[in-house]
This record gives sequence, C-alpha cells and structure tokens, in this order.
Amino acid sequence: MFLIDCPYCKESRDQNEFSPAGEAFIARPQNPEDLSDAEWADYVFYRSNHKGDQWEQWVHTNGCRKYFLVKRSTISHEIIKVAAFGEVTSDSEL
Amino acid sequence: MRIENHSSHQIDYSQSLTFIFNNKTYKGYKGDTLASALVANDVLFFARSFKYGRKRGLMAAGVEEPNALISLEIGGRYTPNLKATEVMLYDGLSAVSSSNPNALDFRALIKPFHRFMPAGFYYKTFIKQKVWAKVENSLRALSGFSKAPTEKDVDVYDHVFHHAEVVVIGGGVAGISAALEVLNNSKTERVILVDEREHLGGELFNEFSTDDAASTWHKDSIEKLFSYMNEDNSRLTLFLRSAAYAWYDHNYIEVLETNATGESLVTEQGQAARKTIHKIRAKEVILATGAHERPMLFETNDLANIMLSQSVRRFLNEFGVISGKDIVLYGNNDSIYSTAIDLNNINIKCTVVDVRSSEIQSEIVTNVKGLGVKVFQGYAILKANGTHLVRSIELSQVALQGKEWNVSGGSQQLKCDLLATSGGFNPVVHLDCHCGAKTFYDEVSQSFLPQKERNNRQVCGSVAGVGAWQDAVGDAKNKAQLTLKSLGIVKKINQDKLSTNYLNFFNVSQFFTPVEILNRPKVFLDMQNDVTTLDVALSIREGYRSIEHIKRYTAMGFGTDQGKTGNINGIAVAAKFLGISMSEVGTTTFRPAYTGVDFGAMAGREIGDFFDPQRYTTINDCHVSSGAEFEVVGQWYRPWYYPINGEDIHQAVNRECLAARTSLGMMDASTLGKIDVQGSDAREFLSRVYTNAWMKLAPGSCRYGLMCNEKGMIIDDGVSTCINDNHFIMTTTTGGAASVYSALEMWLQTEWSNLDVHLNSVTDQYATIAVVGPNARNLMKVLCQDVDFDRQNFKFMQWRPGTVCGVDARIMRISFSGELAYEINIEANYGYYIWNQVALAGKKWNITPYGTESMHVLRAEKGYIIVGQDTDGSMTPMDVNMGWILAKDKPFSYIGRRSFSISALNSEERFQLVGLLTKDEQVVLPEGSHIIDNKSRSIGYVTSSYYSPILGRSIALAQLKGGLSKMSETVLVKIVQEKQGLKEIPCEVSSSVFYDINGEKVDGND
Repeated sequence: MFLIDCPYCKESRDQNEFSPAGEAFIARPQNPEDLSDAEWADYVFYRSNHKGDQWEQWVHTNGCRKYFLVKRSTISHEIIKVAAFGEVTSDSEL
Repeated sequence: MRIENHSSHQIDYSQSLTFIFNNKTYKGYKGDTLASALVANDVLFFARSFKYGRKRGLMAAGVEEPNALISLEIGGRYTPNLKATEVMLYDGLSAVSSSNPNALDFRALIKPFHRFMPAGFYYKTFIKQKVWAKVENSLRALSGFSKAPTEKDVDVYDHVFHHAEVVVIGGGVAGISAALEVLNNSKTERVILVDEREHLGGELFNEFSTDDAASTWHKDSIEKLFSYMNEDNSRLTLFLRSAAYAWYDHNYIEVLETNATGESLVTEQGQAARKTIHKIRAKEVILATGAHERPMLFETNDLANIMLSQSVRRFLNEFGVISGKDIVLYGNNDSIYSTAIDLNNINIKCTVVDVRSSEIQSEIVTNVKGLGVKVFQGYAILKANGTHLVRSIELSQVALQGKEWNVSGGSQQLKCDLLATSGGFNPVVHLDCHCGAKTFYDEVSQSFLPQKERNNRQVCGSVAGVGAWQDAVGDAKNKAQLTLKSLGIVKKINQDKLSTNYLNFFNVSQFFTPVEILNRPKVFLDMQNDVTTLDVALSIREGYRSIEHIKRYTAMGFGTDQGKTGNINGIAVAAKFLGISMSEVGTTTFRPAYTGVDFGAMAGREIGDFFDPQRYTTINDCHVSSGAEFEVVGQWYRPWYYPINGEDIHQAVNRECLAARTSLGMMDASTLGKIDVQGSDAREFLSRVYTNAWMKLAPGSCRYGLMCNEKGMIIDDGVSTCINDNHFIMTTTTGGAASVYSALEMWLQTEWSNLDVHLNSVTDQYATIAVVGPNARNLMKVLCQDVDFDRQNFKFMQWRPGTVCGVDARIMRISFSGELAYEINIEANYGYYIWNQVALAGKKWNITPYGTESMHVLRAEKGYIIVGQDTDGSMTPMDVNMGWILAKDKPFSYIGRRSFSISALNSEERFQLVGLLTKDEQVVLPEGSHIIDNKSRSIGYVTSSYYSPILGRSIALAQLKGGLSKMSETVLVKIVQEKQGLKEIPCEVSSSVFYDINGEKVDGND
C-alpha cells in the first residue's frame, strides 16, 4: 500500500485513492495509418516491464481525478518523484 | 498441574473460571490461557496431527504453537483453528480440539502403513491415478483442521486507521525500552507500541524469580509508560493482545487486536467489536519482535510432553503450571540451564543433556551443577520412547568435530515424563521480510538475522540477535537514538556500549543434527503438517534443490503456525542432505499474514448493506410501490420486472413486452451513464472517441455511437445529443459509466490537452423516463403542449426542449425497442413526480411499466447489442455486423481505427454475432450454451436468449465462428436439461434482427 504525493492536491494519500494507468511516455502515434502492423502493435501492446526505476502514469481517481507521473522503483516500490503532466516529458529526465 | 503457592505473574487466583474442553468441565483462573488452564488440569493431549492422526500435546506457549489447534464456541460465535496458547480463558468458555485426540481415529488405526505415506503420497496415489474426485471428500474429512463455520458470525469487527511517527512492534524488554527512549527524547512525536500478549514484558517474567533487577526494571518502565499514557492528548498508544501481522510498502502496518476472546459482547450499551484491525501508517518502525525457540531433533520427537525449554519456563513463571515431575532438558545452548534453575527452585527434579562439549564451563553451567542437578555434557538424545506420551529417552555420548558432531558409543535409557529442548532461537524476522528485506545467516547464533541497514527501520533485542535482557535495554536505546536521528529530532546520537558479560542464549554450538539421526523415521520437523526429515530427504532425492520447492513438495511450513518452530530446522536438514551451507539454502519467502487473521476482521463493517454502495434512482419509490423485483446493475438497483396478481417472471415479461409493442410501456432509464461534454472542441472530441462521424450532427439531433479501445474492441455504446455546437450530452451503458468517463479523461489529460473540452458526469443530475409504444406520441401530446410532436417535425433521432407537466425537460426521440419512443429527461428531483404524471396520463392507453428483463427482450427482438453481454472485450464492430458505423473519411484516426486493418481482425474465422432460431420454437436456449461442431467441439456460444411474446417463439443471439457466412445453416447447441441431461438442440443461423426487419415501427402508426 503506497503513500503517494498527488502533485495537484499537494498531499500524501493512501494508494486506495489512486489507480495506476500504465507506463508513462507512450505517446499515441501522430499518423497511425502510416505505421506497419508491427509498429502499431508496439504502441498498443508492448511495454518494457522494466526492473528498476520507471516512470508511470497514475490517476487520483477518488480525489482530484487528475492524471500525473510517478517515478517508482519496481523493485523496492519506493516512489522517487511525482510530477504533473508536462513537467517531465521523457524517461531520462528526473 | 498447578504449582502450589507459586507467585506466577499473570494469574489472578482470586478469580476462578469454569470452562469446557472436549465436553469435560474444568476450572482455571483469570489470566490463564486455555493452554495453561488445561496443563493445570493435567490435560496433555490437545489434538491429532494432520496426516498421520498422531496424538499431540503442547510444544510451545505462544503464537508459535503448532499442535494445539482448537475450535472455540459454537453457532454464530464459532471460531475454527485457534491456538489454545493464544486463547485467553473466560468464564463459560467452550472449546473442542480441531481433531479430537480422544476419539478413535482412522489415521491412527493404519499406523503400520504410515511409512508408506511420505511427502507426495496423496498426489501420487490419488491425483496421478485420476481417482481424486472419488476420494477427495472422505480424505478431506480426515484432515486435522477444524470444520468451516456454518452459521453467520454474530460478532462485529472494526477497522481503525492511525498515523504515527514511530511504531514499535513487540512489547518485550527491547520494545518497552525503545518506546521509552523515543518518548523521553521527543516532544510531539506519536508512538504506537504493539504486542501480541496480554501483558507488556515479553520473556522478562522468566527472570523475575532469579533476578530482582529484572522485576524492578519492569515495574519502573511500565509505570513510566503509563504516565505517558495518562497524559492529556497522550502521544503514546498501546495495543495489547494485538498481533502485527503484515508490513506492507511505505511503512503501512496492519495489526489485529483481539478485544475479547469468545464471550458474548452484546450489552445494554450495544455490541462491542470482537476484533479490530488497526491500519497504521508509520514514519519510522522499530522492530522488537523477539525470537522463537526451536526444538532439537531426534526420533519420535513429536510425543506429547516434548516441549520447548523456554515455553516450559513461561508456563511455569507466568501461569504457575507444569506438565511433568521428572524432567529432562536437552539442548545446544545455555537456555536449558536457566530452565533447570527455575525447576530446581520449585523442587522439581530435572536432568540436563547438553550436546556441547564438557569443556564448556560457563557460569550458569557451573551454577546448575552446583545445585546438584545431573548434567550430561557431550551427550545427545537419539530417541524418545512412549506410546503417545514421552516415558523415557535414549541417550548416547557424542564425538565433537568442530561444529559437527556424531553419535559415539552405546546408548542408555533415562526415564522422564517431560522433555524440554532448545536447539537455539529463530529471530522473528517475518515482518521485516514482508516487503522484500533480506536476512543473513549468523554463525554465532546459528540463525537468520534481519538485514542490517534499512530505511526508516531499526531492529533491536532478540530479533537482532541480542540475547541478554540487560543488553536488549541498551541495544533498544541505541536503535531508538538512530530512529530519533532519522526523524531529525536529534543531531548527535548517544550509543551505549553493550556489555558481553550477561547470559546470552544466542551462542549456539552443534546445531546440525548428524545424518545418522536424520535418517531415522519419525524425526518431525513440522508437527502441524507431519513433515519429517525423511520427507525432506525424499524431495531432494526426487530432484528438488531450492528450499521453496522442498517446502512445497513436503508442505513444510504450510500450516497455521507457518513453520515458526520447524522451518529453520528444515533448512538445516536440507543443508545437511544437500551438503551446502545455510546461506546457500536460504529461507523461504516470508509473506503476510504473520499469524491467523479472521475473515470477519478482514471484512470489518463492510458487510451486508455496507458491502457495496447501493444506488437508487429518484423514481425508486414508485417501483417499490408497484411491487417491482429488482436486479443490481453496476451498483444500481433497477426494476427487473413488475409482477402483478402472482405472475412469475415469464408471465410478467410477456405482458410487459406485449404492452410496449401494442400500446404503451414506460421505463426508468435514469441509470444510463450521462456525461456532459462542453467546449469548442467537443465535436472534434466525439469524433475521435467514437467510430462514426459527428462533425455534421446538427443541434437538435441525436446519434448512436460505438466506442472502441485502441485494440479495436468495442468498449461502450450509447446515444449522444447535440445541445449546441459546443455542448453535447453523451450517454453510456449503465455498467460502463465510470470506466468510460475515466478513459475519456485520460485521453484529454494525457494526449489531447490542447483540445478545449470539459467533461462532467451528470448521471445523477437527470432522471430519464422512456415512454415506448405505438401510443407514445398520443401520450406525449397530453403531457407536453409546447412541443410539436408531428412525425415530420420531430423525427426519429431528434430532441426538443419542452415543458412536461410544468417541468423543464429535454425530450429525445430515441428507441431501444424499435417502437415509437420518447425519453423524457428532467432534473433528477422531479423524477418521482413526472413518473406518476406519466403513469396517470397513460392510463387511457393502459400504460405498463416494464423492467430490465423486458427491455432485454425488446432490444434482442431488434438485434440491438448489449455491450458486455453480447460482446466480451474481444469483439470488433465488424464482428457484431456493425461495419456500417466505421467512418471512412474522418481526418483524425479515431481510437481503434488503425487496428481494424490488422489481418487478425479481418479473419473469416472470428467469432461473429448472429441470430439463432431453434427448430423447436418453444425451446429457450440457456445463455452461455455452446454451439458445437460435428466433433462436439465448441464453435461459439449463446450470449442472449429469450422467449419473444410478440413472435411467439424463442430467439437467441450468439457468437459463432465465421457466423456471418453461415446464414440459414443448421448448427447444434449443447444444453443441459433438467432430468433429461445433455441434449443437442438444432438451430438455424439467422440475422440478429428478428422483428420489424425493415424498421417500420419506429415512426408509430399514426
């Protein structure tokens, strides 16, 4: 049961207020019709399932209902950082 | 027996209690556990073992007890599989053994065959031979656990949330000391101290009779703690009888508090909770969970009255009871000598057998010898003799080679009626490991200790391998200082230097039992699951190497005691047989819960009406007074059908459907999800999330839309209404409202933040009443005068604002039945009023309210799908024959579009939605029935099936492989009919539209 800092509410809240919403920075392709089946499948189905620190999307479902970004260790479950959308735009940023 | 004139520390001799165990009445005292009271009454057999049905007695005095499983009380207060050592005695207590040791037992009768029943016996004999189904019930009845409860629990249980800066788990010397150190050195920090026992002090009571400093320290410390408790706005919270059973991520700890054992809790003031789960979020955790003693290994070490040394001591010192008069103490550390001193003090005869070298001359060994106690140093016990109870032991001299030892020389017999052993101590690392912290093997204590460094956590006392109580005080202070530093309260920490002069049980030699003994039969490791050393040997012979696999093959540590006494011995045995070190074997994974947690406590108050939110429309009272039966749809209580004059569901539904088809019906459609979509890009947004075109939908019109996910699968459908260019109202399915709303928000927030669109859920804000049938227009003309209902001016799929019985309304001409229909949307608070007005005005046309069942029949007659019933998350629009709804020329590649061109989604072999007409028109196929091919393999299944009163026959919708190209073919549907068994029903594949195929009814008759 994580304790998550909502970057909008500015409060630490219990995990049961939130829902996970998958790996972050999976941008929807601009022109899906130009993609091969394999490229499209990569966007729709394939995720890195990274062991270590990764950026994820979470939503404060039973709170402000905002989606935001969480950098979390998938090993220790430590939450390293949270950010509003737009504050961080790629994996490499901390 | 109870020791006379003994100043035991827990018992109140002034309060005598009567209780019943296995149908016999006994007396005990306030402060007894059920176990101690039974020992006082010379009851030595507590249960039979799980697999072999062996009679077993107590082994331990607390949470680690493997044998003494009992069922408490009967009826609504029945609790199965409690440990007698954890049940506090109360007047009138009634308990039985989980498996009665005094009854004749089939498993015990087949004793000569036990050696043919090793690990894996049941699997190899029954499951592999495929006869399991025949024998399962009788075999399960033989198992050694309590029967499941059959009655509703009469008790209530609570959940309480807490926040604290410091949580101290364990209320022994270390825990008390750590809590005080934190409180003494901070001003505002909240401290929670948790202990599973009745009194604070842990094992310290054992020292009182021989060490005045111990009782003085205890008295002073408890006084100090209580002074903190008694402060106004006390920042100390104390939970006794409370087991911290789980430590989850981010320092979230769950504690089960037993407020009362089994007595009635109903009083004039109300009903108190029997158990409470405390859910604690801590900044810092101090673990002072102590250690459990482990037994020595020898043949038939499971006889009754073979116990753990410190448990014998605890029964003696805390409860004033003992179960023998001629006692042998056997071990590989100094713990047995402290028990010998206590026994000698009350003039009970004992003999010590110490496997360690006679060269060991520590102070306590010398003291015990000085008392005249016979001490065998360098001796081991090979076997315990006795039928069910230990009567004598067989011991032999040993040859020591470093840490190893072997039997050398002949054996001799020694009589005894109680054997207490100590093979060292297992620190209670369980909680620490719940979130993945590791242990390491310590060679001095021959045990696994918690990993040294961990964020926001300290370990102190026995769990950290600190044995002497005086050292535990210092160790706890030192660790609490580190906690204070981590909290930022102190900058510079004081660390006391620990003495090493005190008696330390954590110095273990000759831990590993030689193979010569391990290879004997009936050397039990896990008493509860009847796992022996030979079972471990067998699993290794069969190729298992990982301790996790050995555990699962033998079931070692699977019991309700979770292997607290047996597992580390099991690891040592595996290490010995595998010829590798303890570290290399490692431990199995420690998972919550540390000890048993009642289902009732887990559920807490979230039962009955509080299990799930119940949602009612504002029209609900009308449905109730009409005698409706209800069904639950996504938390909503929706009228299912409205029986009158004793109708059954079929009669009611037939009447309701015919009314809607021939005259007039009405339905409460308020539960449909409604999302208010506003903003200058609202239109663009709809065309991105729906598959069809929305750019030209004029204000005043409505349109049906199908929503897919990126995989191209249907997730929702509904009608959206254009209020104006910047304002739409989307409807969703009743069950899908929340998930659709969330999905739409995700697109807007994460991908399309540049769109000017705002969403708002307005499901609860509007009541919706559908009036359906050929007379719907006539009725609307009566209800609403300011709208032109002429069929040319108010067309199908249009909406008009109007006033219905004086209430502002949006009237949509949409239909989920194929009939002429209007949906009246009013502010929710008017729902009840308008429903009654509609019913009143509709009397002229015999208006008939109908529920969800008739709605399903009416829509199925028209082939309208229900998302989630006729689709299952793997259906594309093409699969349900709705290819027409995919816009070809929208500039934005709407959600799911790209997936439609993937070859797999265009296969001829996909499941496709078709109609099924049974050859026998009166047979209604059960939903879920499989369509089979000529080899009886499934090629599809029935998703919706009803009797259609207007058609006078059954109709069904089905998913059929390649179904759209099988029109008019005959297929077989396999069904189970009562009494007649399996039957294959021939059906014709048809269009999914069964009634009014050309759609002529939707405009009405006039």
